[in-house]
Amino acid sequence: MEPTLRDGDWLLVDPAAHAQRAPKMGDLVVARDPRAPERLIVKRVAGVAADGLRLAGDHPAHADDAGLIGPLDPTLVIGQPWLRYWPPRRIGRV
Amino acid sequence: MNWLVRALAPRATAHAHCDIPCGVYDPQQARIEAESCYRIIQKYHDSTDELFRARCINVKEERAELAKHHIDVMWHDYFKPEHLEKCPTLHETCWKAAKQASLVKRSLDVAEAQKLLDLIDKIDMMWRETGGPAATRMQPMQPMAS
Repeated sequence: MEPTLRDGDWLLVDPAAHAQRAPKMGDLVVARDPRAPERLIVKRVAGVAADGLRLAGDHPAHADDAGLIGPLDPTLVIGQPWLRYWPPRRIGRV
Repeated sequence: MNWLVRALAPRATAHAHCDIPCGVYDPQQARIEAESCYRIIQKYHDSTDELFRARCINVKEERAELAKHHIDVMWHDYFKPEHLEKCPTLHETCWKAAKQASLVKRSLDVAEAQKLLDLIDKIDMMWRETGGPAATRMQPMQPMAS
């Protein structure tokens, strides 16, 4: 997810972000990995299709993530990261 | 301070990467590509066929790029901070090797290809010194005694 997120970033995630509206293209989301539901993933919504969300990483080397993860049922989205609170130097909205 | 860190620490971890490192590393991958460069440069100089020589340049550039990739994989993925204690010249050697692969990509001097091989051999020694063969490679089947 670089440059937006780096390994080890601590984030606050809003679980109610999608209570009123469905995730839209460009949203950063934390979701259950459809291939292993106990695993959480943090990705950006790269597209919204009839069969689910397409997710992608921000790093160009991981641009094919949508193909690996497959379409994501929007009910698997558990929240939207909105603030990085660690490390101190990089505190801010994401 | 510990209680504060515990209180602030995240409750869950979310992963951003989908790729799974295979954990298999061997500098021989880089060496084979560098040997290809060496031999292709020789073939280039032995030939007078301009078409053949042009193809040699193409293939050599491709192989040098692959050598650089495999050096980078060793450097970024295999070597860990603790290996630095055992091999203090690790960063410098990998850096020089990657730069040398770039130089071989644009050179037709067999001596430059040899320098690349020598640097990859140094990486190979560091890989061995840090327990690379046992930790990262599967053991091949042994030929049966007759």
